[in-house]
Amino acid sequence: MIRKVIIQIHRSIARPLISQQVRCFAKAGTGGVESIEPTSADYELQKEHIAEAVKAQPLLSSVSPQLWQKAHETFANHGLNTNSFLQIVTGNPKVLMRSPQKIIETLEHWRSCQFGEFFLFQLITKYPALMDVSDKRRLLKQITFLQGYVGSSKNVWKLLMNCPTLIEQSTETIEAKIVYMKEVMRLEIPEIIKSEALSKSLDEIKCRHVFLERLALFKPRSPKADPNEPSKNPRLYKITDTSDKSFANKVCHVSHAEFEAFKELFARELERQRKEEEEDDADDEDYDDDYNTIDVQVK
Amino acid sequence: MLRARNILVVPQRWKGGKTRWSIQQKKKNNTDRALENFDDFYGSVFGVRWRSIRAALLTENKYIAMVNNFGDNEKTCSKLEMDGAINIRALVQLAKERQTETQTPNIDTNQNSQEVEDKMDAITRKQKDKEIHLIYPENTNEAHVPENLDYNSTANENISPQMQSKETPLRSTTESSVSIDHTRIVDPEHGTGALYDFIPASSIKGMEDWIPESDHYKYYQTNADFPLQFELEQDFTFPENLALYTYEMGNCSEFRPPNKCLTGVLSHYLMDGASILPPLLLNVKPGERVLDACAAPGGKSLLMLQTLYPEQLVCNDVMESRVNRIRKVMKEYLFDFDERWLGQQRLILNQCDARNLDDYGSYDKILIDVPCTNDRHSLMENDNNIFKPTRVKERLRIPELQAGILANCMRLLKPGGSLMYSTCSLSPVQNDGVVHMALQKAFNDDGLTFIVKDLSYLTQLFSDIYRFEYPKSLKYGQMVLPYLPANFGPMYFSKITRTE
Repeated sequence: MIRKVIIQIHRSIARPLISQQVRCFAKAGTGGVESIEPTSADYELQKEHIAEAVKAQPLLSSVSPQLWQKAHETFANHGLNTNSFLQIVTGNPKVLMRSPQKIIETLEHWRSCQFGEFFLFQLITKYPALMDVSDKRRLLKQITFLQGYVGSSKNVWKLLMNCPTLIEQSTETIEAKIVYMKEVMRLEIPEIIKSEALSKSLDEIKCRHVFLERLALFKPRSPKADPNEPSKNPRLYKITDTSDKSFANKVCHVSHAEFEAFKELFARELERQRKEEEEDDADDEDYDDDYNTIDVQVK
Repeated sequence: MLRARNILVVPQRWKGGKTRWSIQQKKKNNTDRALENFDDFYGSVFGVRWRSIRAALLTENKYIAMVNNFGDNEKTCSKLEMDGAINIRALVQLAKERQTETQTPNIDTNQNSQEVEDKMDAITRKQKDKEIHLIYPENTNEAHVPENLDYNSTANENISPQMQSKETPLRSTTESSVSIDHTRIVDPEHGTGALYDFIPASSIKGMEDWIPESDHYKYYQTNADFPLQFELEQDFTFPENLALYTYEMGNCSEFRPPNKCLTGVLSHYLMDGASILPPLLLNVKPGERVLDACAAPGGKSLLMLQTLYPEQLVCNDVMESRVNRIRKVMKEYLFDFDERWLGQQRLILNQCDARNLDDYGSYDKILIDVPCTNDRHSLMENDNNIFKPTRVKERLRIPELQAGILANCMRLLKPGGSLMYSTCSLSPVQNDGVVHMALQKAFNDDGLTFIVKDLSYLTQLFSDIYRFEYPKSLKYGQMVLPYLPANFGPMYFSKITRTE
């Protein structure tokens, strides 16, 4: 039952056109993905499948049928059906050229994150680029780091479903963003997980947040307020997951031109701030140097 | 054993620490106070538009570059043009051509002013209610809440008889006892318990020179009992020698910093874009005697000097430090300042309160850029902010000061001469309210009558560069609104001409 619901949610998420085409095709060719019990037809690679995939991703045309079959078999052995396989391959054609050993290794890396088979397949089908992970230690370190902020591994999965780039970002940048959202914007973790905010840069988050604040549309909740009480601020996903135009028009109720101008002015403001801080630091260092020299002289 | 433990265990405070709300909460400073006040006041004046004005006010403003004619002006012009800046003269010329193609606009002067009057009424009432409820909270069983907080008169009247009673002779005491309110006398026979009952205060001591915030809004009055004339102003020529550069709307590039020219003066002067409008629209003509009543830091005066039109320009300001600032700017921008300008009396620096200037009837044009709440500055700068709690009195009385300066300058005008009143505030009290007060005062005290110039035709020439207050809710002047793609102002200006 839960699985069925998740499938539906998953389908409602907008996907790139390519994978959509492939999925429709696979549905017609096989029994479709709705059936809960996997049938053998779900795990068969037919010529039409390949033809359709090549049409969607021309890079695949040079691959020999043997390679196709071999790769498909590898994925099938690990429980991924043809439909998911085609999505992964069209999204990340390099996977097809890899040796089965390498593919299995990557899948094992991901398994060790303990999202559960089903959720893991969803994740890599949605973001085939995640199949490029090769460093297990780094991956696990990253996952543990994220877990430290969001709690359960389920939450880490949710987070990755929204922002897959987190795997590649440095821990410092992620930390800076989370600290900003938690301490300056006063948001709670559940709200952060539900948005794509962490895949944006800190400056982008800051820019939109400060713009809303200057428009008097965003007030950080009072430190005394109950965290369960809904705030009147726009939700984070509305702030970060929208295009510039819809953010300006729908969320801020101003013209696009105004937001564009603000972006430019705010970038300059941030730059100036950074320069000032650097200068302050430099001054401090100068002072330290002076102090040291005096010290030496006294000695 | 116990003692050893006492030494080892370090006592720790559990309460407080970084997570406590009182530590996390930001301290409120003067800029926050200013913002709060603006949110309250302008939020009700401008309605939904306030939000975008607010965002613009809180963000960096846009500048305009004025080329210095006493430096290498051709070189500077070409440099600025290389950077992508546009000559304002060209933009104005284009707008003029466009306007001659279409018909001259018929402008309704008092279109929406009624609306502002209603809003101001509501604001005053709201503020008064707030103050009354602050002193008389709703939950007390007070039957009578005074309608007006007249601290000055009632407080003194109520207190004085009681104070005097200690010294007055017996007779007057008995006389005054006749007027004692018998309902409030407690009979000792019934016990003294009643004395401890709650007796509401009828007046508050120590509030004699308290000014309630609502008084500030009362300066905005609308009933006119002086002759009032409006006239559409169409007379405007862009000064020949003046070169002003700006970037088009939406382009937020910065200007290059001024550099030193061969003659030893700086190449161009950067100023807030809206500040060029009052001196430009004042339309100084060759050979006129001009006064800049509150001139510091000198940008507007410099603009008038760059046109080379005024025969004599008097720059006045109230403080020495500010006059020194004007001198510094002029020295930086005018070639051979001491000999050619001060020596030949083409420029006079004067230090005086503009309310006390007394060379009546001697100026053709006067520019009055009065001290105001300076909205943009108040939101940015914490130091010596006008919204500082210790400057409350000064702030609430600003309109009085402004009207005083304006009314005095009205007397300095030659018959037929014009003045330009300008502020950098959005407040209707400091803008239309002050012009109204000054016109009234000038008529009542000196019998002077004036024509208010309708600048809406001229502002259309600049509509490609600025965002003006529209639809027109202003009575006596025009205003540049801060708008992010053209983040100039705020700047209110009103042109008034003395009748012949």
